[in-house]
Amino acid sequence: MIGLWYEDHEVGQTASLGAHRFTREAILDFARRFDPQPFHLDEAAAAKSIFGGLCASGWHTVSVSMRLLVDGRRAQRKALATDGEKPPPLGLGRGVRDLRWPAPVRPGDVIAFSLRVESLRETRRPDWGLIGMRIVGVNQDGREVCAYTLLGLAARRSA
Amino acid sequence: MDRLYFEDFPVGEVVEFGDRIVTAEEIVEFAREFDPQPFHLDEAAARESMAGGLIASGWHSAALMMRINCDEVFLRSSAQGSPGIESIDWLKPVRPGDRLSVRRMTLAARPSRSRPDIGVVEMRFELMNQNHEVVMRQQGSVFFGRRPNGEARK
Repeated sequence: MIGLWYEDHEVGQTASLGAHRFTREAILDFARRFDPQPFHLDEAAAAKSIFGGLCASGWHTVSVSMRLLVDGRRAQRKALATDGEKPPPLGLGRGVRDLRWPAPVRPGDVIAFSLRVESLRETRRPDWGLIGMRIVGVNQDGREVCAYTLLGLAARRSA
Repeated sequence: MDRLYFEDFPVGEVVEFGDRIVTAEEIVEFAREFDPQPFHLDEAAARESMAGGLIASGWHSAALMMRINCDEVFLRSSAQGSPGIESIDWLKPVRPGDRLSVRRMTLAARPSRSRPDIGVVEMRFELMNQNHEVVMRQQGSVFFGRRPNGEARK
């Protein structure tokens, strides 16, 4: 498990974020709210599209990966608090680099997400460091369906 | 309204569109589902954090911009998804009551090498608030179908 402070991170560390099953209902619900393009909403229209069938919005896929990332960290914060340790202040996300959706996510697909620490950078503020994490989602057939680098601030222990 | 094809996104074009007010309820609703961190969930906890008050998840901002783009552009176009996004930058917080719009710039356009019926358009999208401040910038490519032979240009 990778710690929550900036100093706990080293380039190359990896962690599993867990897996998530994308149901047809959830795919349609997200698409109706945020991405109502025919290939995310309608099987017949999707069959005629570049995707060849209904698939999840890419924004749905990345949002689910965020949920898994946050769930893991929440569990870690809780464990720290149980041990009587103060968890670090939460840092905000700064941005994303090189976001790709190499293959569609279909109804019923189970996507396993993982992360790898890609970069560490000190910032002008002594209390925060910037961490680049490559997050990758792979379906049940081993096919990569999403990958991106999340740039986020992490509190520094030394501050 | 005419359907938009690859040929309808000339390089250099800058267009502004959309008008969407973000409520505290929808910020919290998105966060509960996808990004349950205190500064997206709870005003009091958010005030104690580096956010200084309730702010939308960056992924919520991205999803809201997608919705504006769908309503204003993609749903009346031959858009066929995106191969990827080069960058997203969350520049300023999105707060309850903010009124969002989008500025779209066409940076480059080229026909697909493998699919003659598809073109790739590289775009920059800027999500702006009511003060015309850019709160999020996104740069990436979108696939558009090419105008079928014989269909008149609008």
